[in-house]
Amino acid sequence: MIIIAIIIGCVLGALIGMGAPVIPYTYTGYLAIAIVAALDSVFGGITAVLKGKFDLKIFVSGFFGNAILSILLTYLGQKLNVDIYLAAIVVFVGRMFTNLSIIRRHYIEKWTNRNGITSKD
Amino acid sequence: MNKKYIALTLGIVCLLLSLGISVQLKTMSTTSSYTTGSSAENKLRDEVFRWKDKYDTVYKQLEEAEEVLEKERKSATENSTEAADLEKELLNAKTLLGQTEVKGKGVVITLDDNKALVNMSSISIDPNVLLVHDGDIIQVVSILKNAGAEAISINDQRIVNTTAITCDGYVVRINGEKVGAPYEIKAIGSPEYLKGSLEVSGYIDMMIEDGVMVDIKKSNSITIPKYEGVLTHKYMIER
Repeated sequence: MIIIAIIIGCVLGALIGMGAPVIPYTYTGYLAIAIVAALDSVFGGITAVLKGKFDLKIFVSGFFGNAILSILLTYLGQKLNVDIYLAAIVVFVGRMFTNLSIIRRHYIEKWTNRNGITSKD
Repeated sequence: MNKKYIALTLGIVCLLLSLGISVQLKTMSTTSSYTTGSSAENKLRDEVFRWKDKYDTVYKQLEEAEEVLEKERKSATENSTEAADLEKELLNAKTLLGQTEVKGKGVVITLDDNKALVNMSSISIDPNVLLVHDGDIIQVVSILKNAGAEAISINDQRIVNTTAITCDGYVVRINGEKVGAPYEIKAIGSPEYLKGSLEVSGYIDMMIEDGVMVDIKKSNSITIPKYEGVLTHKYMIER
């Protein structure tokens, strides 16, 4: 059910995005970093669901908080002429890999367990 | 119940995420595929885009204004033969000056750098002779004018009486705009005459011998765009 909701959300978003107007070039850097932050939040959310400790408040606040904070950091970096957004990307992508490995491990364990039971029979 | 909420939130978040991604992809495909670089570089690029945007909107406004002017002129001259004659004369003058889009038969000449030979690391050939230079284009344009070409354009830059063709590093500057290879020179006139003159002059043969890629094609319908700049004078006085 959760997977179906994710797929429906992605397809709907892409469809709306196709009709949406383009944004000015200035803001593409900010949107990119917000996308990475959101992607991280989604993977974090899926991991939390699998672990069974998903908290709606933590998830929503993390989603918006991370995105806004990374945008602010990018803005600050532009003002200081330091590419701070690289740090944000490193953190988010690193976490994404961690979460992805947790998700992967969860499903592989499930799969091997099921196979083990059937082979025993 | 709880699972429903989780699915709903994840769905909404994914919707926002893919919305952002698709908007970003769309923006990047319309502007430039090149995104990396320092923020200072991005800022400069951004400024260029903004100026281009501004130029485009102003140019569009100018075109609209010209259209309105044309309409006004047409309605004003509707019921007077004298004014209609003047109007015709004006249009003729504009066509001769290159301020209207024209079409007709003629030739299309394509000059291109010999990239295959330039990229080869043979030292025996000077790569300079394999490239199309401003001088080559000036020669071709002169030959075409001599053969009675009535309208000439190079990569959609119309040749008018103020046109200058100069060297600008890797590219050629025509009408103040940078134009790069391959150069597509379109000329309206008698196709046989234009093609014959180019072949007879020997300059084309010389370029081919040097290794430049040259292609001459006759065509029955060529469209040449109008000159997009402003023709004006400041120092000369009518007598």
